[in-house]
Amino acid sequence: MSMSKKYWRGLSELNESPEFLKQHQTEFAEPLPIDEFLNGEEEKSGTSRRDFLKVMGFSTAAVALAACETPVNKAIPYVVKPEEVTPGVANFYASTFYDGHDYASVLVKTREGRPVKIEGNELSKVSYGATSARVQASILSLYDGARLVGPVVKGSYSTWKNADEIVGKAIGSGNTVILTSSIISPTTKAVVAEFTAKHPNTKHVTYDAVSYSALNAANKNVFGKAVVSSYNFNKAKTIVGIACDFLGTWLNPIEFANQYSKTRKVSKENPVMSKHYHFEANMSLTGANADYRYMVKPSEYGKAVTALYNEVASATGNAKVSGDTKLSNPESEKAILKVAKELVENKGNSLVVSGANDEGVQTLVNGINKMLDNYGKTVDHVNHFNLKQANDKEFVDLVADMNAGKVSVLMTCNCNPVYTSPASLKFGDAYKKVGTKISFSQVLDETSTMADVVCPDNHYLESWNDANPRAGHFSLQQPTINPIFSAPRYEGTRQFQDSLLAWSGVRSNYYTYLQAYWQNHVFPQQGKYLDFASFWAHTLHDGVLKVNIAKEIPVVVMAKDSAGMPIMSGVASLNAIDTAKTEVAQPTTNIVPEILPTPDYNKAASMATSVKGGAFELAVYEKIGLGNGNQSNNPWLMELPDPISKVTWDNYITMAPADVKAMGLNEMLRQDIIGTVATLSVNGVTVNVPVLPQPGQMPGTIGLALGYGRNAKNLKVADGVGVNAFWFLNISNDTIQFGSPSVTITKTEETHKFSATQIQHTIMGREEAILREVSLKEFKEKEKEEWNPATMMQTHEGKVPIAEVDLWKDYPRMNHKWGLSIDMTSCIGCAACVVACGVENNVATVGKLEISRTRDMYWLRIDRYYSSDMNKEKGAEEKVAYKQIYLDMETPSNNPKVTFQPIMCQHCNHAPCETVCPVLATSHSGEGLNMMTYNRCIGTRYCANNCPFKVRRFNWFNYNANPLFANVNPAQQELGRMVLNPDVVVRSRGVMEKCSMCQQRIQAGKLEAKKAMAPVVDGAIKTACQQACPTNAIMFGDVNDENSEIAKWRANERNYFLLEDLGVKPTVSYLVKVRNQEEPVLREEGNKTEEKHEEKTEEKHA
Amino acid sequence: MFHFSFKSLLGVVMMFVIFSGNISAQDGAKLFKQNCAVCHSSHTSQKITGPGLAGVFDRAPKGDWINKWILNSEKTIKSGDAYANKIFAENNKSAMTVFEGQLTPKDIESIIGFIKGPAPVVAGPAGATKGPEGEGEAVKPGIDPLFFTLGLVVILAILITTFRSVRMSMQNNANRVEGKPENPDVTFFEEAKGWISGHRRLVGVLCIVIGFMGMKSCWDACFDIGVYYDWETQKGYHPSQPIKFSHKIHAGDNEIACQYCHNTVEKSRHAGIPSVNVCMNCHKGITKTANAGSEKEIGKIYAAAGFDVASGKYDDSKTNPLTWLKVHNLPDHVYFNHSQHVVVGKLDCANCHGDVKKMTTVEQRAPLTMKWCIECHRKTEVAMEGNAYYDRLHKALKEKYKGHYDVKFTVDKIGGLECAKCHY
Repeated sequence: MSMSKKYWRGLSELNESPEFLKQHQTEFAEPLPIDEFLNGEEEKSGTSRRDFLKVMGFSTAAVALAACETPVNKAIPYVVKPEEVTPGVANFYASTFYDGHDYASVLVKTREGRPVKIEGNELSKVSYGATSARVQASILSLYDGARLVGPVVKGSYSTWKNADEIVGKAIGSGNTVILTSSIISPTTKAVVAEFTAKHPNTKHVTYDAVSYSALNAANKNVFGKAVVSSYNFNKAKTIVGIACDFLGTWLNPIEFANQYSKTRKVSKENPVMSKHYHFEANMSLTGANADYRYMVKPSEYGKAVTALYNEVASATGNAKVSGDTKLSNPESEKAILKVAKELVENKGNSLVVSGANDEGVQTLVNGINKMLDNYGKTVDHVNHFNLKQANDKEFVDLVADMNAGKVSVLMTCNCNPVYTSPASLKFGDAYKKVGTKISFSQVLDETSTMADVVCPDNHYLESWNDANPRAGHFSLQQPTINPIFSAPRYEGTRQFQDSLLAWSGVRSNYYTYLQAYWQNHVFPQQGKYLDFASFWAHTLHDGVLKVNIAKEIPVVVMAKDSAGMPIMSGVASLNAIDTAKTEVAQPTTNIVPEILPTPDYNKAASMATSVKGGAFELAVYEKIGLGNGNQSNNPWLMELPDPISKVTWDNYITMAPADVKAMGLNEMLRQDIIGTVATLSVNGVTVNVPVLPQPGQMPGTIGLALGYGRNAKNLKVADGVGVNAFWFLNISNDTIQFGSPSVTITKTEETHKFSATQIQHTIMGREEAILREVSLKEFKEKEKEEWNPATMMQTHEGKVPIAEVDLWKDYPRMNHKWGLSIDMTSCIGCAACVVACGVENNVATVGKLEISRTRDMYWLRIDRYYSSDMNKEKGAEEKVAYKQIYLDMETPSNNPKVTFQPIMCQHCNHAPCETVCPVLATSHSGEGLNMMTYNRCIGTRYCANNCPFKVRRFNWFNYNANPLFANVNPAQQELGRMVLNPDVVVRSRGVMEKCSMCQQRIQAGKLEAKKAMAPVVDGAIKTACQQACPTNAIMFGDVNDENSEIAKWRANERNYFLLEDLGVKPTVSYLVKVRNQEEPVLREEGNKTEEKHEEKTEEKHA
Repeated sequence: MFHFSFKSLLGVVMMFVIFSGNISAQDGAKLFKQNCAVCHSSHTSQKITGPGLAGVFDRAPKGDWINKWILNSEKTIKSGDAYANKIFAENNKSAMTVFEGQLTPKDIESIIGFIKGPAPVVAGPAGATKGPEGEGEAVKPGIDPLFFTLGLVVILAILITTFRSVRMSMQNNANRVEGKPENPDVTFFEEAKGWISGHRRLVGVLCIVIGFMGMKSCWDACFDIGVYYDWETQKGYHPSQPIKFSHKIHAGDNEIACQYCHNTVEKSRHAGIPSVNVCMNCHKGITKTANAGSEKEIGKIYAAAGFDVASGKYDDSKTNPLTWLKVHNLPDHVYFNHSQHVVVGKLDCANCHGDVKKMTTVEQRAPLTMKWCIECHRKTEVAMEGNAYYDRLHKALKEKYKGHYDVKFTVDKIGGLECAKCHY
């Protein structure tokens, strides 16, 4: 049921006279002479107090008049209501997210036919019901105002008929190349084959902006097949990562994060966890989560891997390889010996991964895993991924062909090479030499702006498709909304596959083709359903299908009947029926290719160690938010604070603090957020980028994030933000290297103000109250009291646990007592929860300027703390001046330990915010939640001042209407508004807001239970953050229910509350972070000094 | 009360005469409405899905053929019955529902009795169905009263000016004849002014009357733009809807359950405004009623649904959604869920919406203020018995109020007054 109303407050508004429009945006009819008034200069200025009051009086009257609306609300019901739609009740459809970069099987929540939220599909064995920040945010791109509404020919809108004619003429004329990112849809590949069959001069080239070409090549060297292995991190006891951000951005991070966290669910009964060593130059999310992190220069990745290979080889009795293994960081060199020893100890249960796109490195890594007997256990090259298929050489050759004029038609789909290819390749120039340039881009991006014909593809939420992300795993993509841009209002978008089918002369639409292909090729692989109709219905319902014996899906042209329609002929496989009955475990090692090539590891080593580094090495990386930049027009992702640097709306050079100091750049000590702009030049490309001191950055290296520096006018959010790091990619050994071994940086006089959501870096000695950590050894050996002591309070009856002291009367929680707990051992800081929270609760994006004023609106933030070299005890020992101790404590270590702590409203049962609200706008519920009533709030902000956790957010502006925020706030656009959750109020200016613990979900869950006349089932209500979390680090439930998971978490000895000494009795609790390290985290000294201090106070009391 | 027209009186008498002692015809009407009316018109030959039943007993084979047909038409067709196959073919081979097991022979008898009887007087001004308050006034076609008044004023003004000039010239003529001086050439306004100063009391009273009339018309105009009886609560708001849909006729006279049209009330937060296809379930056959103007109003449904009465076919390209005016408006910052109140709270619709069955135009009866919500939450007991959801809470409450005399577990006692239960 949709409602719309339009009122006007006078003829001037109806006619939209310029004066009105001007007045309408300003609060007062004329600027208030407040400054003069306050300075006592009213006499001089000629504005008397009377005038001031008159103006005030007028505006009051104006406001009162403006409020005199005539609320005639309209309701327009359906003409024919679709059977499955119930207005007010959400429907969930299983679908698939794959944008050529990330994969996730998802459930799409739709309300009245419009998608409003993405959630994970728990049936998937590839994404395990988890999502990432990028997947969560992908829903907004559906409602992106920059999307094309019809085909564009030579820069202006045209008709499909015209576009088809032009394309039809062009493809007959010469060589056609279809350039796409990796296609994981078997049916799409068949469609490409149809096109190729019709037009034999066609070649399909796969190009991934972030390439995994070397992984494919290495597997070809070792196993004879160019594929990307899949990994089982959950079976690994020792994990070694070399420049591989597998928790954040590498290959399939959602699955890896899920698997990784499964090895880290540590408890007293099961005190086992994996040990994770990491070697890298930039501080990545994965490095930040590692138990041990070592800094290595990008040019030395090969050397480190060679060293590791040799150590493992000598321990396992294999031949060593020759190569330079000298690392510039002696600590890392020493670590290799230790890591190798541990890997060999855990032979068969270990895993070495590298993200370097270097064939030599990857071949050696394969060799190490082979020597460690990991294949078939933690690495699986048989049930391989299909996610990354690009071969960089093909792309490089294509550019050469284009330059040579050998390509007359180039179709680009789901890739943007003008933006993402290295500057040295000069793709843009080559592109101009192509006869007819056809793009399937949904927006006018860098490539499609230059294209002759743009045939806009449908959004993934509007499309039918399938996916085969990993051998044996299938998933379906189904439209959850009719194409938004369609006839008769627009010429409309058309799915890429439909365009290709039309140009191939196949007289079927893609949906029919897809079904036919599945019947012929996927249906026979399973034996559960005997007729295709029920097979299709069930698979579509589940969204995923896993077959027991994975066969390659052939890429073939389908047989067609006389009418040109594909013939469906597949039958269920009787073989598969048998295996389905007996549920045979997935064979992984049985199918080994018969003849394996003999890999030349020496050649690989010489290739890997050949790179020479310069004074500064550049390591280009992907950010958690933007990835490869295909979603950079998404304000949710632009504003998402980088999990490590906490900076929003920017990319920047990350540089070791020592280097920053040495170069005389702004060190941004303590809470300074002004950085120096430096000039970065590589191979003739020069840009000015601000420099951010990044603890943990290998000295002599710098990092720069991909995805920024867009140059497309239509992408209003992304255009001109940051610089394009793709320019600095480097092609060597026929692979695209993510960095450059030698760059020059020079200082400029310019400065740049960063916008960060957190400007403090260390915990400043408050570990016990906020950030409790313990080493696995201590966790196992020591009593709980030593590493998670109850907070005590001094009373006249002696010391008692704070939980027993109460200033206020406790109220009984007779029905529910909601609770939320966060396992800090599992939390990897990936920020999926942050985006999910924002989508669920209509949290406003505020833009760069407001964030720099610390006015971000996040209900859920993730605090990141670096360890510091200084602490009070060390300072006392070394006799450092008292003030200097604190100043030093603010400075992170050079290679700090990192902790992530998600913070949302703690829903204190004795909430300090509630007692100071003059209008009772915030109060407590009988179920233990702190409630915020927006309509009562008058915006005194006392509550925010009194909140010890700083989780309250104030609406300084009407973000949903103020033109200042028109670009950053999707709620301001006619289309973007569709993404708002209709169950949650959109807040207005002047009110406070904060985490409601997804009150709307709690109420909905309770209502379901009441209607079913049954108690609320544990796990039936999930908060948005919990739902999104890939590592199950967040648990929500009813603490009153003794059998609930949350009750178990609360009983866990790792459970503690933040700032418990305040006695505010939070509802949110945390589980102590366990680090798998030998060195103790606890400081004996610290406890002693504290006791001494307490003794003194006792004396005083006495 | 006693405004029975002669016609309706006759109807009542006739009915009394015909059906005295034959209660089954009343049941028959009801049964027909429930089972047959969707596809058949009872007393006309209009075709809906099946043929109209006027004269059916003359057409069909005599004997118990009709009874057999109604019970199981498929069987009759299969038996090779000539007439059965003929009408099956005539009606696009759409089979009639098999009523065997649903209707008893006695039911069928009463339905037949109803069809054989005279056409029922459909809801409207006819006395038989007329409510005691006589609310359901028919729509009178005619000139818009506003234009009528304006026209009158214009005519009056013309008349006054003409008469005045006639009187003036005649008076002057008379004066000239009598040798008296001519009347001074005063303007109309000067003269009016003179007249007013001479008739102050009358003018005062007139002014007051006109003033009141003006205020009244402003007041009335306010209703149409949504300024209400009770400006604080909007109580009494009854905007005119795009279709003069009468709840009285549908829910009152014809006893259609509220949930038939508002069918999401038990599933969703919204009770749901019926989509046009729900209207068409019945109105595919009911093209007009005895009410004047009903054909025009029902025609609006057809226009919305893209339905062509003559051919009985839908044209999907001609649909045109109806725009209703929401009567019960809650502010955006309130979350209200119908299913919570109807399913869990077991409240009757009339609790909040008043006796809609008697409303021709729906109006807001409850103030819908927060005070009103809270008052109800304070006094309404929660039906905890038998709902396992409440078991734990019920136990705890009994424990808490042990020894208290006459404690009711009302909604407020389980947190029904907490802010975030409705505001989030």
